[in-house]
Amino acid sequence: MPLNIDWQQILLHMFNLILLFGILYILLYKPVRDYMAKREEEYKKREQQTKDALSDAEKLKDDYEKMLKDAEADMAAKRAEISAAAEADREQIISDAHSRAAKIVDEAREKALSEHDRLMARTQAEITDYVSKAAEKIVMQDDNLSDDFDSFFESAAQQKEAGNG
Amino acid sequence: MDKKKRTRFIIIILILLTLTFISTILSGGGAEEEPINEVMQDAVLHSYGKVSLFGLIPVNPALISAYTVTGIIFVFALIVRIFVIPRFSEIPGRFQLVLEQAVGIFDNLATSNSPHRHKFLGAYVFTAGVYIFIGTLFELLGVIVPTISGGSITLPAPLADINGAISMGVLSYCVILSGGIAGNGFKGVLNTLKDLSLPISMSFRLFGALLSGALVTELVYYYNTTSYVIPIFVAVMFTILHALIQAYVLTMLTALFYGEVSEPSSDE
Repeated sequence: MPLNIDWQQILLHMFNLILLFGILYILLYKPVRDYMAKREEEYKKREQQTKDALSDAEKLKDDYEKMLKDAEADMAAKRAEISAAAEADREQIISDAHSRAAKIVDEAREKALSEHDRLMARTQAEITDYVSKAAEKIVMQDDNLSDDFDSFFESAAQQKEAGNG
Repeated sequence: MDKKKRTRFIIIILILLTLTFISTILSGGGAEEEPINEVMQDAVLHSYGKVSLFGLIPVNPALISAYTVTGIIFVFALIVRIFVIPRFSEIPGRFQLVLEQAVGIFDNLATSNSPHRHKFLGAYVFTAGVYIFIGTLFELLGVIVPTISGGSITLPAPLADINGAISMGVLSYCVILSGGIAGNGFKGVLNTLKDLSLPISMSFRLFGALLSGALVTELVYYYNTTSYVIPIFVAVMFTILHALIQAYVLTMLTALFYGEVSEPSSDE
């Protein structure tokens, strides 16, 4: 054959190559590739777990944000409710205070009237007293008037004795 | 190493180089026993330096290289399988990283070129890549074996032999054909047969590339005057570059054609 081509040696080379293919596939290529594939699978699994955890965390965050918003809305509603109740209480208190004040004023007015009446009565009595005292003084100053009084009192005493006798 | 020691070391190296160079000149340029054209022809054809395969048949030394390389790879793979792979950790060490990179490169090559069918292709291109790379570097070891004529010969790269290169090219073509059959059935066979020149082009590309390196190295070593210092650069650079380039080219071509013929046709 030209170029020293020998079919027997070509076949022997092929046999050697096929043998080497089997050796390398079983001993090196497959175990290393399997290990790499397994590790890649593991990494993918971890990545998926991380993504899931992240997604859960996002969901949880959304839930909490929603809860926070709900709580804020509840708080606002409660605040409004409390405010309304407080307003009603205030109105009630003011109304009570007004009625109490009116009552107090009425009582005070009544008391003042009563005091006024009492004072008027006392003043009238005092005036009467003063007048009588003044009249007495005036009478005392006039002798005739005093004799008249004496004679009046004496006749009154005689009449009383005559009635008793 | 301090400055004084370094200077002394450089001076000694220079003296040795000068002495070897002078002795080379004085020796008369080499007393070659066989002419250069015969050496080169033998490097290509291996007509004379036959080696016995297990005492059965005389074969080219490259076949012995091929089986030796397979033996070395087998022992290495076995040690790795028993002692290293069971201790793989999630955070890889240096050696684990190298192994994962080697497998990952060829696996990615197969996946990117043939996304629909790549399991077998990945394993094949890994084998081919490792074989071409290690086989080419094997040349650097300079293992000497006795020839059947009673002389001795340095084992070349397995693929520097035309038979080794043809077997690799034909096997790669068979793999491509198998991809065509598995992917498209009879249509896949036709698609593959369309590129009938492929095994020849792949074989001769591989053979030519590796042989050119071998020939240049042979030429450099042939003359005494060029066999100092220069071979360090020429042989090593040629070998390493060929190991890398040819491993890449053949595996890339195989993956490319495999992906092309095994791709499901659009009308299916």
